[in-house]
Amino acid sequence: MDLQGNVHGEYGRFEQIVSQFLSKSLHIILDSRVPSVHQNGHNLLSGTSVKKSDKWFSLKLGDRPASLDNLNLWHRNLMEPMIIDIVLVQEVPDSSSVNYPTTTLGLGKYVETVIERWVIQYEYIRTVFPHVVESSSSYKKTYKKSIILLRSLYAMMRLLPAYRPFRKLCSSTQASDFDINYKVSSFSAPFSREEEELMKPYNFASVDAPQGRLSISVTYRENLSCFNLDTSIAYPPQIITDYVGSPATDPFRAFPSSEKGFRATSFSLRGGQSPSSTPFQRPHSWTSGLHRMSMQPHGGSPPVHRTSTIPYESSSPPTDIYGHRIQNYRSSTHHKTNSFDEHQLSPPFSPSPSPSPPTYLSGGNPVKAHRHSETAPMSIPHPMMGRSPRYLSPNLSDPNRHSLPPLSPKSTKLDPSSQDSTSGIRLPRRSESLRGGEFHSGMSNLFSGQKVLRDSKDDSGRFSGLLSSSDSPRIGFSRSSSKLSFQDDFDDLDFSGPFIVDDVDTSDSPVRFQNLDGKRSSEFTSQAFSTRKSQDAAVGALVHMLRTAPPLRQDSSCYSSHSSKTELEGEVGAASSGFFLPRKASDALEELRGYKDMKDLLLSKSGTQVVRKEEV
Amino acid sequence: MNCEVCQLKELELEHFEVREVLRCVLHTIFFHRALGLVRPKDVDLELFDITYVQCGDLDLDKKIEEKIDQFIDRVEKHPNKKNQICLSFYEVKNKQGTWFPKKLERLYWEQWYINLNMVQQLKAHSSKSHHSKVVVDPGESAVEETSIRRAALEASLREVLFQIIEFVNEKKDHVPPIPNLDGISFPYEITIPGSSDSAFGMDMFKRMLQTGHPTMLS
Repeated sequence: MDLQGNVHGEYGRFEQIVSQFLSKSLHIILDSRVPSVHQNGHNLLSGTSVKKSDKWFSLKLGDRPASLDNLNLWHRNLMEPMIIDIVLVQEVPDSSSVNYPTTTLGLGKYVETVIERWVIQYEYIRTVFPHVVESSSSYKKTYKKSIILLRSLYAMMRLLPAYRPFRKLCSSTQASDFDINYKVSSFSAPFSREEEELMKPYNFASVDAPQGRLSISVTYRENLSCFNLDTSIAYPPQIITDYVGSPATDPFRAFPSSEKGFRATSFSLRGGQSPSSTPFQRPHSWTSGLHRMSMQPHGGSPPVHRTSTIPYESSSPPTDIYGHRIQNYRSSTHHKTNSFDEHQLSPPFSPSPSPSPPTYLSGGNPVKAHRHSETAPMSIPHPMMGRSPRYLSPNLSDPNRHSLPPLSPKSTKLDPSSQDSTSGIRLPRRSESLRGGEFHSGMSNLFSGQKVLRDSKDDSGRFSGLLSSSDSPRIGFSRSSSKLSFQDDFDDLDFSGPFIVDDVDTSDSPVRFQNLDGKRSSEFTSQAFSTRKSQDAAVGALVHMLRTAPPLRQDSSCYSSHSSKTELEGEVGAASSGFFLPRKASDALEELRGYKDMKDLLLSKSGTQVVRKEEV
Repeated sequence: MNCEVCQLKELELEHFEVREVLRCVLHTIFFHRALGLVRPKDVDLELFDITYVQCGDLDLDKKIEEKIDQFIDRVEKHPNKKNQICLSFYEVKNKQGTWFPKKLERLYWEQWYINLNMVQQLKAHSSKSHHSKVVVDPGESAVEETSIRRAALEASLREVLFQIIEFVNEKKDHVPPIPNLDGISFPYEITIPGSSDSAFGMDMFKRMLQTGHPTMLS
């Protein structure tokens, strides 16, 4: 009795092994072939502790999607083989003239081809003298060998030809003209002769089990080139959304208007590595992202944008053995296939036709963002004549500049001047544009201008340091060094200087400036080209200028010296006008005049106050 | 228990391809021999359109990288054309010897030999540096030859991976019981045969003794 009980116990354990073996095999196969199963499983994988069920056969794959669990429930008879067909579904044009609106591309019909057929089974071998006692060691051996078998199954899934289309589907969010589906059954229609000729078999070595053996075999299509799937997954394009200085990461640049039209597109990482892998182990995200985007094969998916979605059929009912239909879950906002042609750098100050915030895949944004990311995300403290430091930040190179966040009420007065990257800041802008243009020839003008400034303002020892750093041949602005130097300086600065217009009510000028702003906002959406080095220098020069500006209460003598300085700047600007469009210099001058007017106003007001005090 | 030996198909490759190829092959073998709980990690090769699987064990990754570095150093010092790297799995047994009360003995139960044939890029006027990749005369024929060679190497590498899977599948009986359910589970050793000229012979001799070669008296 004990013996029989033991046998039953052992057999129960063996049944469990077989059942789990079938489940695990199914999971491995579908996880490596069907994108929806793979993605669902991996969504559940991260951040969860390993379930006991996942530890079977020492292979952690993550939670099984519900569809697989349902299939497992259905497959109760362990003696029956489990046949998994991996089906390639392609939409092909129909010869008839009738349009099939239900098909994703509206082209015609779906063609399904079995590209792999997996057969997993426990083959029962009836022996004449069955073992009365199956020792536990035999189950352990069976289990150990099953582990090895499943490992080789897992590895083989990545070597067979069907892996490439699977990876392409997983990595691409663009519409594809094909999809991979699956079908699980205990019987299957045999292949036709033609199909058989195209298929190749492979049998894994079976694992001996009590009264039988566990076996896995596959028949697969060796050559998938006839389906015209572009399955090159070398360096798939990858859009990085959380780059340094992106709206997503930089709190200073959380622009509601840009978020509207912007849709982050993230392609799954190549090799997971994940990222990372990655894997990654990758070079700087931007360079690799750029590189990948430029290498994106255009011939991959047809340039048709899917806007309709085909209903998803789940496989929850046990009798419904089909997996989902074509998963065309591709959003239509970011599959402009010609986008990568546009990442030629646009001229620095060329007008952009549309003021709408560009998405990541249009208008050469990746490159602009690339440029953008190379600039340090500096944050210049707020009270700088109301000019938001944000505009002095590397956002200057951002085409979304027009959609910068609404300034605080304090700083709205100087909105337009700040928003124009080329004209808002007098000297620094020019220096920046100088650098944006001819690098070397512009530098001499820049240096002369800056040197004059420096000489005239001896009390700004701090800023002279900044300027001197900008005088180096490379302007001295690497990404990090400039950021650090500026931030250190700005932390020390006391910006309770004269040009804090926050507390002064100048009702006229803001209106005027906002009108100007409206005009200019449409003009520079495509400016991608402000150089990061010049921005830092520009910032430094601006700070210097503001710092050394005479206080409001001072008499007009200081103002005249300041105005002479601005005139000098005007000269410098004129000299450099050859490097960029004349329009920009005039804009700068206009801005300058605006500032002067405002300053006059402020001074006049303070002047009257001083006069009144004196009178008293 | 006998020692199963697998001589993998020889791969012809250039110096800069060694690292990726060795990583791929070694990790694939380990993936089939690390029978403890692993979370598989897919890795795409950069030079070839091949994806292999890693165990995700950081210690193992580190050790493999160290061995690959050693191998590359050796290849640079001894620019022989053919090189080999050996991965062995063993069991540790206590053996009561007559001279020594207790001795730990390694019983090798599996050995993998990865055979690499270093080739140099054919150049019109080239120095003898075997790891320089500069093509002095980038004619079309040289480029074509490179791409042909690269495609052949990819096919060979794929064959080697299939070979590993086949070997692993066919021979399972010699695998000892799993001592450690975490990570690699079996003690292993990666050696570069001939790394030291004087010890080469001794190394082979020792291994033959330990594996109990039938012609040797144990």
